[in-house]
Amino acid sequence: MNRKFLALLPLLAFILICVFLYQGLFANPRELQTGRIGQQMPSFNLPDLMQDDKRWQQTDLEGEVYLLNVWGTWCPTCLAELGYLTELREQGVKIVGLYYVQSYDSDFDGPFDMASLRDEVSTMLNRAGNPYQFNILDLERTLALDLGVSGAPETFLVDSNGTILLHHTGDINPRVWRAKFAPIMQELTP
Amino acid sequence: MIPEIGYFSLTLAMVLSVLLCIFPLWGAHTGNLRLMRAAPSLAVGQFVFVLISFAALIYASLTDDFTVAYVAYHSSSTLPWYYKITSTWGGHEGAILLWLVMQAGWTAVVAMRSQSLPWILRARVLGVLGFLGVGFMLYTLLMSSPFELLLPYYPVEGRDLNPLLQDPGMIIHPPLLYMGYVGLSVSFSFAIAALLTGKLDNTWAKWSRPWTMTAWGFLTLGITIGSWWAYAELGWGGWWFWDPVENASLMPWLVATALLHSLSVTEKRGVFKSWTVLLAIAAFSLSLLGTFIVRSGIIVSVHAFATDPDRGLFILAFLAIVVGGGLTLYALRVSQVKSEGRYKLVSREVALWLNNIFLVVATLIVLLGTLLPMVHKEMGLGSISIGEPFFNKMFAILLVPFAILMGIGPLLRWKQNKWAFLQNKLLLCALASIAVTSAWLFLGYDVVAPLTLLATTLAVWIVFTTVLDIVDKTRVHGSLLNGLKRLSVSYWAMVLGHVGIAFVIAGVTLTSAYSVERDVSMKPLDVVSLNQYDYRFEGVKDIRGPNYSGHAGVVTVLKEGDKVARLYAEKRQYDIGMQFMTEAAIDAGFTRDLYLALGEQLSNGGWSLRIYHKPHVRWMWLGGILISLAGFMILGDKRYRSNKKREQKSQPEVA
Repeated sequence: MNRKFLALLPLLAFILICVFLYQGLFANPRELQTGRIGQQMPSFNLPDLMQDDKRWQQTDLEGEVYLLNVWGTWCPTCLAELGYLTELREQGVKIVGLYYVQSYDSDFDGPFDMASLRDEVSTMLNRAGNPYQFNILDLERTLALDLGVSGAPETFLVDSNGTILLHHTGDINPRVWRAKFAPIMQELTP
Repeated sequence: MIPEIGYFSLTLAMVLSVLLCIFPLWGAHTGNLRLMRAAPSLAVGQFVFVLISFAALIYASLTDDFTVAYVAYHSSSTLPWYYKITSTWGGHEGAILLWLVMQAGWTAVVAMRSQSLPWILRARVLGVLGFLGVGFMLYTLLMSSPFELLLPYYPVEGRDLNPLLQDPGMIIHPPLLYMGYVGLSVSFSFAIAALLTGKLDNTWAKWSRPWTMTAWGFLTLGITIGSWWAYAELGWGGWWFWDPVENASLMPWLVATALLHSLSVTEKRGVFKSWTVLLAIAAFSLSLLGTFIVRSGIIVSVHAFATDPDRGLFILAFLAIVVGGGLTLYALRVSQVKSEGRYKLVSREVALWLNNIFLVVATLIVLLGTLLPMVHKEMGLGSISIGEPFFNKMFAILLVPFAILMGIGPLLRWKQNKWAFLQNKLLLCALASIAVTSAWLFLGYDVVAPLTLLATTLAVWIVFTTVLDIVDKTRVHGSLLNGLKRLSVSYWAMVLGHVGIAFVIAGVTLTSAYSVERDVSMKPLDVVSLNQYDYRFEGVKDIRGPNYSGHAGVVTVLKEGDKVARLYAEKRQYDIGMQFMTEAAIDAGFTRDLYLALGEQLSNGGWSLRIYHKPHVRWMWLGGILISLAGFMILGDKRYRSNKKREQKSQPEVA
């Protein structure tokens, strides 16, 4: 290689980096490709958030199109989307909540304080609206892990066969609903 | 009124920096001495106005002026006064203003301490610095002014400074880091000025060296304190996370380290010139790239600053102009540069060249590890994440040859060496390091992993070879004391830097290998033992701070029945925002840290506690401080003190 080319090399490398940085600027870093789309809902057996003796399995959910909304009272964006989600429920959309406990570790933190969590949940839902048919409690975050959840809020659209059709990161608002969810919903409901 | 003065003053500073960019560069181009002579006063003037602007923001914060949006979002009236001051760089807009203060400050110091430079070079250096100032000020004024007002409806109370940032480490960490980042812009300006002038001689290297060393010293100290802050404040005993933002500060450091070694070769031997210039450009480019990564939200990180594509676009455009321009100039000019010196395979030149190769490879590893997840995703290959295991493995592999070389390098002479002459001494050093390390580890610990032994041996090896070198160099002067006096300041800086690295290697190795942690549930007067220390839980008491309340777990630490320390592991809840914070209690020691974090109260009335025993963890930061001292020591070297009386008289050459 001659000297002139060697001297140009750093500039070329830098230009390449800049191209990627420019693209990266307009890509949403929170947009994840989880690879769960098109797959079956993972199997689970988890307790209900509000009732002590009730448990839920993936088979309980099959037969209907539903949204699985990952949320928590600790998450301000979740609070913000509750209002719109409640409107959707009133329009007949079935929404199931997956309550995501942020940092509980049974080895370190001792028994979980269910009473105060239920208290917080009812206060928040009474204030902002309750869009949920029911809530599944994912205390150890196992289902969230299987679903590739990276935070809250996140929402999955699942069809009546239990196939995941959509994974949305971030809140649901009228704009997101029209752009991402409504077209798929229309196809599903003849 | 005061915030308006701040904004107005910044506008004036911007006008001055535009002039600072145009006058000297045009003057140098046309050979107009009067234009060039304007540069130093413009530089100082720019600094004064930036300083006024910064003072205005501090004043607004101290007086709880919540009409200023920045103050309302990052401070509160209950915050102690010192955190009110530090809150001025706790958020994006204020941090950039602090950056400006540093930029203008360095420019002013360069202007005042560069009398011995030929006017044509001095003017170009200041002109380039002025150009950088214009970029950053334009950004502040247009995109991220900290003086935006919340009128007419302003809040009666501020949102408070993030509790994580309410820590002494946070008071000094960002200013030091910025001093380092911005200081590298001086090396950059020297490189660009030298390329513009077309004279890459050893005089250039000699001028550039003290600035680079000082900036590097600040950068080292900034990174060290950042690591200490993470350890003390984040509550789980970690000290480095390979987070993109940390990587962003490590990359310029690695390149700057390569640069100052390369500069020494260029100064003393007149070789590696084009390489040294490239490193000077790269070091500051990586500082800018780091800023871009941190501020644009292009990569999700725990440091998560506000994300705003417009801001990112501005910084990227600025980056493209500065770095792209610099590299274009490099490509145009550097092929004309010729190296003069000659050297053999076994020589200090080759040792330093290898040092540079290792450091640059390390930088590329960090750069790839940081950017690859993003590139991978954009090429449609899916999301991946690159974390600790990758970086740890790569750095462990690089460390072995690097540390061996670090021991040998200083013993070599310029130009050539007889290998046979060194062979025996080095062998002796190697055997001694293995023997001493083995004795140390096998006597002190039950289990010694091969890798732990290897890494610790390397640290000891660096110390031994350094001592050998000192003995060698002093022997020729008769008595030891006489010999020690004759060693130069730069030499001592090297010794300090290398010993510092040895401390970092030993600290990281030993604390990674021998840290022990235990999660326990304790009731009052329960005792738990961990590594010969007994921890007696005395109970929990309520605490009340200036802007938080909470409780502290009180633990008495005993060793063989004697009291070692009483620790207060706190759980704080801040009044505004109601955030919970774990404030770990640390009993620091030269050979071990005892580290305690309080968990929740359990249903049986006991408390959960996490106890860490961390041997030699402090060596890491001690090493960091030693290394940064090496950077500051060079200011004491007579060769680099600018001679104020020797004002440049000769007319500048016409370019």
